[in-house]
Amino acid sequence: MDHTSNLERIIRGGLIALVLIFFLFPIFWIVLMSFQTNETILRIPPSIFFEPTLSNYSALITGKLKTTAGNLDLAFMKNLWNSVLLSTLSVALSLILGVPAAYAFARFRFRLGEDIAFTLLSFRFAPPLLVLLPLSLYFKQLGLTNTYIGLIWVYQLICLPLILWIVRGYFEDISPDIEHAYRIAGNSWWQTFRKIAVPLAMPGIAAAGLLAFIFAWNNFVFALILASADKQPVTVGALAFVTASGIQYGQIAAAIVLSIAPTLALALYAQRYLVEGLSLGAVKG
Amino acid sequence: MSSELVLKNVDKIYGAGAVHAVKDLSFAVKPGEITALLGSSGCGKTSTLRMIAGFETLTNGSIELDGRPIHMLPPAQRGVAMAFETYSLYPPLTIAENISFALKAQKLGSQDVNKRVKDMAELLEIGDVLNKYPSSVSGGQQQRASLGRALVRKAGLYLLDEPMGQLEPQLRAVLRGRIKHYLREHDCTTILVTHDQTEANALADRIAVMEGGVLQQYATPAELKVRPANLFVGTFIGEPPMNVFPVQVKDDGKTVDFAIEGSGGQSLSYAAADFSQTLRNRLKGETALMLGVRPHAVRIGKQGLKARVVTCQWLGDQTHIASEIAGRTVVSVSHEQIAAKPASEVFLGIEPGDLHIFSSGNGAAIAHGAQLV
Amino acid sequence: MPHLELASISKAFKTNKVLADISLTADAGEIVVIFGPSGTGKTVLLRLIAGVEEPTSGTISIDSQDMADVAPEHRDVGMAFQNFALFPHLNAFENIASPLRARSQSDAQVKSGVGRVAKLLKIDHVLGHAPRQLSNGQKQRTALARALASSPKLLLLDDPLRNVDAKLRFEMRLELPRLLRQAKSTVLYVTQDYKEAMALADRIAVLAEGRFIQIATPADIYRNPATVGVARLFGDPTINLAETTIGADGSIELAGEKVAIDKSYGIFAGKNVSFGVRPEAVEVMNGRGAGLKAQVMAVTPLNERTVLLLQTKAGAELLASLPSSSASIPKAENEVTIAFNPAGTHLFDRETGAALARGRA
Repeated sequence: MDHTSNLERIIRGGLIALVLIFFLFPIFWIVLMSFQTNETILRIPPSIFFEPTLSNYSALITGKLKTTAGNLDLAFMKNLWNSVLLSTLSVALSLILGVPAAYAFARFRFRLGEDIAFTLLSFRFAPPLLVLLPLSLYFKQLGLTNTYIGLIWVYQLICLPLILWIVRGYFEDISPDIEHAYRIAGNSWWQTFRKIAVPLAMPGIAAAGLLAFIFAWNNFVFALILASADKQPVTVGALAFVTASGIQYGQIAAAIVLSIAPTLALALYAQRYLVEGLSLGAVKG
Repeated sequence: MSSELVLKNVDKIYGAGAVHAVKDLSFAVKPGEITALLGSSGCGKTSTLRMIAGFETLTNGSIELDGRPIHMLPPAQRGVAMAFETYSLYPPLTIAENISFALKAQKLGSQDVNKRVKDMAELLEIGDVLNKYPSSVSGGQQQRASLGRALVRKAGLYLLDEPMGQLEPQLRAVLRGRIKHYLREHDCTTILVTHDQTEANALADRIAVMEGGVLQQYATPAELKVRPANLFVGTFIGEPPMNVFPVQVKDDGKTVDFAIEGSGGQSLSYAAADFSQTLRNRLKGETALMLGVRPHAVRIGKQGLKARVVTCQWLGDQTHIASEIAGRTVVSVSHEQIAAKPASEVFLGIEPGDLHIFSSGNGAAIAHGAQLV
Repeated sequence: MPHLELASISKAFKTNKVLADISLTADAGEIVVIFGPSGTGKTVLLRLIAGVEEPTSGTISIDSQDMADVAPEHRDVGMAFQNFALFPHLNAFENIASPLRARSQSDAQVKSGVGRVAKLLKIDHVLGHAPRQLSNGQKQRTALARALASSPKLLLLDDPLRNVDAKLRFEMRLELPRLLRQAKSTVLYVTQDYKEAMALADRIAVLAEGRFIQIATPADIYRNPATVGVARLFGDPTINLAETTIGADGSIELAGEKVAIDKSYGIFAGKNVSFGVRPEAVEVMNGRGAGLKAQVMAVTPLNERTVLLLQTKAGAELLASLPSSSASIPKAENEVTIAFNPAGTHLFDRETGAALARGRA
């Protein structure tokens, strides 16, 4: 029997529309803003009718910003490149370190194992500001301030716990018998890890990697303090739009669109893994 | 007290015609009779039970208890006691309270209640866990408590859904006997739903074999074995299952010859006099048939089909022998201990009276024991 | 020289003792069934032998070589798991091929090796399927094929028929002996179905509470159970047991009624025993002859046998099991006379449960 009446369908549709508007309207509005000049953006009352312009994007890409107060150089494309570099390398390093560690935590009981795992997770609880002052002092001493290596290192605070905990749950869901079967068949521990454990945990690894990438991409504070202009990612670089002659809303909007594009594309592409991975769906034989 | 249950042309369709779970089902259970609904999962037996209990509406047809239609009544007004497959014991009550809970409505004195609970616990061997809570006893004990809660009530009809699936193997035989005795002594009309033919055979007076929502046969356990209505019932009932061969039949007036397909030309030959004339006439029209023989009717001896022993297994009170005729496995069972070496040659003898002949088209039975159906 | 030798193995997880003082030898090509109720440590024992767990104490030797420092991949063992443990991301072919690939065989060798066992187990038509596309029976056959593929010298089968339905289980039970004979491996087979154990074993090792109580041939275990526990585990219906005291003439008392069984029981006169009688050794006569009188409480057919629940005049409950073909099957409520075939009777010590004697035919 079909229980849904027309009324139910209409109400359900309306509610879904409401949720979509709530979440998607800001993005929609930003996209509109990125095609407008500061004047049309700031007119009162606001309107969705305007003459579109690509001037914001061209300014970002060429790096030349004309304002009423004169010309300004922008490092936006450099910032974007920095973001890509920092996020990718951080996640890659986290995966190399985190996946085997997650496997160890999932499969072996060793002394202080749970404590170490929890300590790693607790890095996520601490507000970044708490560690920033000592960290910046250390970095000065070590000569790591304003280096990619230094930033990637600090970004492990963001990526590693995430990967460790999500992937660990995934490894725990794989029946040990499956791995035993592969070892008894004549394969070493390392082969079993590579050919059985990692492929079976792949959805979880992909999801954790993606999330870590997004968190790394969105990070602001670490890069603000520990890097100067030429190493800064877009999140920090966007500050440059707050100029002496006012806030460049058009360019900010264009910069946001460009900077969320990679993560959005990644998220849409990997949506399936993300949902599967985060719901910790069991691996069934 | 015991009632007669009649199902008339009952249909159950789920989801706007998507699943036809029960098709035109009619059968009657006599007062005091134990009937088993037997079939594999998805055969419609559980839907049928739920319709009788009142948890499911009928798409078509009617259900009557003592001539009174009950299928429109809510479950509580049907006068039916039920034991659930999932036990459904009340977690905050002890086992004893769970069992006596069913007696609340009957306004009995507390002494009377205690005695009945004690008797039931003794019958089901749960006397030592009466004061425990369901979560602290084993699955088998929970199942027995759930069964006790259903049986202790006075009801016109008892519905038991897979009542013995979790029972400890060492207790099974004795409890089957005691429960059967209890049901008979109290004249309980009972419907038992199970996928386990051992349980159905042990407990039921009559078994309704279901498959694909359709009632295949409704008969006594003995009759299901001796006179199965079709090939499905023939192979479904019986452990080990019936041996089945595709055969070509030839009747030259003196002998009736069943050539087994793919056996390298071996055949079962019988004197024509072993078969009734009506059966021989009936077989004249047929060439390809399915021939069924129960493992107990395959005798290892000096004459018959030549076969090679694959496996010989003695289980304490019976011997199972699998042998092969050109790649086709034949199983025979004996109550004696028999030693047959693997790979040795044996001869399998089959009496004409033990043959079951089925149409190879729709599987309907044509003959049992050399007599036309 | 035994192929496999376990010498006083014990295993504990933290303080939880699972196995204690397990010793067993198995000759090359022998099928030893490890039988016991669930939770007795059968699976743990197989894991120890496979090398994926380490014993707390004791030694495991294969071909006289101590396995303590040998990794599982070097023990030349094949194992089938109760939950099949197929690799979900590999198809049936690759699952079965995994032991061959690990021995770096050529593609042609792998193909012929997989083809051979797949044909033996009748799964050659589903080799391209992923495990989730296989039926339960096919999964179980794939898991067996994988264990057999590399023709290991030692085969560990952990209740491989547990998760398939009754018909398939029966079919496989008849098929397995030939398969195992062809594999020529030494086999340790774990099960909690006594029929499977009797059907497949050369010898059965009965495991209870972490110890072997009896290791013997199926016939010996059934006829001469070492303890009352073993007697209860073998046989369907279960052996009838009654607590009694032996009389001077070797007779027993059943709920107060004196029954003569076997004069040789007289040597235990005055002893407190558990008297056991197999249901198939309870003879039921319709006539009014002399003997123990009983009433038939219920008649419950069991396959080709009929089980009777009997109650003696004095109230003792007994099960009898007769071939359904026998002419004299009584009806419920009938009065019958019963006698015990001495060969199916046993005496056990009431305190320790150890077997004292068996009746003679």
